[in-house]
Amino acid sequence: MNAKQVQRFVISYLEATGSSIIEKSPTHVTVKLSPEADRALTNRPYYWSFVDRTGAEPETMTFRWSFVHPSEAELSGPEAARDGQAGAQPQVQPQAGTQPAAGMPMPLLQNGPRVIRDDVYFGSRRLDQIFESVRQFGRCVTMFEEPPKRTGVGPLGSVPYTAWLGVNFKVGYECDMKREELYGWGISLATGVIDEAFLERVRERRLTPKLPPNVHLLPNGLSLRKAMAQLEHALERKLKAADFQWAAEAEERRLDELARLEAYYRPMIDQAEEGEPKEALRARLKQRSEEIDWQYRPRVTMSVMNCGLFHLPGIG
Amino acid sequence: MPIQPASQPSGTPAIQEDRLPQPAAEPDSAASSGSRSETPAAPDRAAQPARKLHPLVDLHVDRSAFEELERRIERNGPWDDWSLYQMAWEAEEARRVADFHELQCLRLLPGFTPLPHQTETARRVLYEMRGRAILADEVGLGKTIEAGLVLKEYLVRGLVRRALILVPASLVLQWVRELNGKFGIPAVAHKKMYHWEHDIVVASMDTAKREPHRSFLHGSEYDMLIIDEAHKLKNKKTGNYQFVSDLRKKYCLLLTATPVQNDLSELYNLITLLKPGQLGGEGEFAANFVVGRRVAKNEDKLQEALGQVMIRNRRSDGGLEFTKRTVTNVPLRLSPDEQALYDGVTQYVRQHAQAERGDLASMLSLVTLQREVCSSRDAVFLTLINLSKKIPPDSPLHARIWELVELIRSIQANTKAEATMKLVENIGEKVIVFTEYRATQEYLLRYFKEHGLSAVPYRGGMNRGKKDWMMDLFRRRAQVLVATEAGGEGINLQFCHHIVNFDLPWNPMRVEQRIGRVHRLGQTEDVRIFNLCTLGTIEEHILHLLHEKINMFETVIGELDEIVERIEREESLERRLAKMLLESADERELRSRIDGLGDALLQTRNQRQRE
Repeated sequence: MNAKQVQRFVISYLEATGSSIIEKSPTHVTVKLSPEADRALTNRPYYWSFVDRTGAEPETMTFRWSFVHPSEAELSGPEAARDGQAGAQPQVQPQAGTQPAAGMPMPLLQNGPRVIRDDVYFGSRRLDQIFESVRQFGRCVTMFEEPPKRTGVGPLGSVPYTAWLGVNFKVGYECDMKREELYGWGISLATGVIDEAFLERVRERRLTPKLPPNVHLLPNGLSLRKAMAQLEHALERKLKAADFQWAAEAEERRLDELARLEAYYRPMIDQAEEGEPKEALRARLKQRSEEIDWQYRPRVTMSVMNCGLFHLPGIG
Repeated sequence: MPIQPASQPSGTPAIQEDRLPQPAAEPDSAASSGSRSETPAAPDRAAQPARKLHPLVDLHVDRSAFEELERRIERNGPWDDWSLYQMAWEAEEARRVADFHELQCLRLLPGFTPLPHQTETARRVLYEMRGRAILADEVGLGKTIEAGLVLKEYLVRGLVRRALILVPASLVLQWVRELNGKFGIPAVAHKKMYHWEHDIVVASMDTAKREPHRSFLHGSEYDMLIIDEAHKLKNKKTGNYQFVSDLRKKYCLLLTATPVQNDLSELYNLITLLKPGQLGGEGEFAANFVVGRRVAKNEDKLQEALGQVMIRNRRSDGGLEFTKRTVTNVPLRLSPDEQALYDGVTQYVRQHAQAERGDLASMLSLVTLQREVCSSRDAVFLTLINLSKKIPPDSPLHARIWELVELIRSIQANTKAEATMKLVENIGEKVIVFTEYRATQEYLLRYFKEHGLSAVPYRGGMNRGKKDWMMDLFRRRAQVLVATEAGGEGINLQFCHHIVNFDLPWNPMRVEQRIGRVHRLGQTEDVRIFNLCTLGTIEEHILHLLHEKINMFETVIGELDEIVERIEREESLERRLAKMLLESADERELRSRIDGLGDALLQTRNQRQRE
């Protein structure tokens, strides 16, 4: 993500969470967070539990986020950048603790709330937080496509809609290294047809969370669970057909390492006195072997990042 | 709630829980908003064990988001926002690790570009050593950066979530700062028991190995273990060694700047922590590689085996851009008063060296007296006073000592301090003045202050906070830093490029450490070094050895540490020099013996290069 993409992403996030943007420029934004965004980003669980318990009017925090990548900001001179870095550190550290606000410099807006300055760039803590928040709050949806504008359907007619289960998968190939793939697939609950470009398709449509008028939903031929199972199996078939050279190589490394351990510990175990010394060495070998397994054993994880029900016009 | 590293993939908790005894609930679920239940249905997972995707590969499925969808359908909502839904995909896409091999962390590092040898080291650790390595770069080449790169890469790839970093107590905060500031890694310094619950913790070895921490750590598993100053783990009978060897870890980095390959059994122990059996069993190792304690055989094979677990970048490797060093010796004549003191002390030393023959410790302290006179009267005064306290009250020596003290009283000015003052004024920029003696340091600070020059002190005994404060004052306010020690790893003074050696240590390694604080990666200016040298004194001989014989100021002697260590196998350099000084009949003999020592150093270097 370059600076522009980050900025677009962050602005969309702020809009989606209903935060109010006070001012913005091509390189920064000042924003008063919505309660939803504040809960997700400011790390104030105690404050929010206080608000929730007492019903007090929440006071959300205000930020000024700069989208200039620090490497570009540094062009203004190494001395300035060093100072900047030193200044940025106190902002970074408290985030790791449980007391977010302590020790942060808090410049004041004139007659306004305190504004916390932050750099937001790909790799920054703040953007990671926003990613995490998006992952949590963009998890499950039910959407309807806006009906086509009066084409072929009379005022009394009704457009038939089919339900689709859309699932976004992340597949991780892991050994001592790792690689990932994403799949935005969907399956028709009417026919069981699978669309491997489902996410791309629905992204182009105009969708609404409310059931539009003059629309009727067709009955499902497939239960949600069955549809999910079919989708998973289809993906699994695809994964099975992939190249497993990486796994074979990782397995080779694993066996190599285990053989090395065996060669090291076995003679020691054989020579050790019966009883405790022998057992201690055996335990050590077991521990080391488990570590090797943990490090090298090839495995694939398939996880559902998010998913939703999509009602789209048409039959099938 | 601790902020989760970006890298934690949604799928990992399900898998890690199978294996990791988690002390706390998954922070993920704690972070979710109160009303929505995010707990993955555990029984479900148990009912569907991992299945085979391939004879070698298990498939683990985490469908907790789908189960969530089912629950929400049952309750008719609540539904998430459509644009957040799409953004979740976008975020995953941006962070996706598309490739097994390409370094991901580089595009995530703000405002800092690692040097080529650092990136290359990270690459080798990741792809050749598979995350278990000894990083043994020479001082000043950035081992911490290399370790940070490796850790960041594994974090980004979601292969490491929990990491434990064990370092000497004095370096804890520095590591935390470096990881946070340079790498955006949310590391915390361990202070309280609950800090262990954080994913990435930096702690001192001494804390970690004590109860109750010890038991906690031995009951945990760490995706990554990093140990700084790992040469302290060379003896496998020590508590530290036992403690570390009982930790459970996946990846492991051991950092050391000390050339461990000089002692084979120590090296063997270190590697056994990392990869038991890498050098064969103990007996095998002895038979294949060891002749004497420090003498190896089958050197080629040994190097090959070492190369698989250890990386050692050297300054002399090339490819590293250092600026030039220029050296100016500033010869000075002592004032008559000072000369009188020097002669008085020299005479005293010679007389008593005869009397103390055999007692090396007191011989050394006598030589120290002579060195101190060359530095400042304050330094020698303190030592004389301490000396007189050790002598029985009725000894005639007291009178001798008080004579010397009288000589000190008559000294009105310090030739070297005046010369330094002039130097600093001419330079007009920031200068570090190094001295061996605390008393000289205090004198200089006073002297500079009286002459309107802003100066701050720096010494080893200061705590971390004070050191940082002094550094900061030096950078922003003061023109001069008066330092008694060059050590204290990781102090970077690249913003300054003038050094004054007010007096010289006798060990070339310590001289190199002084220069290395300034002449290091990141220094953009040529470095100017001034050596103050009082003529007709012991200093002249030392400067002759260091400068003319082994020319150590202008060129970086590669592997100086290893050379000195070899030379010192029998006896330390300081002792050798002290003996020469006391045993030589006259100046000529002394000069020729010192030359002999210089030749030995050079020879060792040549021998080392041939190897």
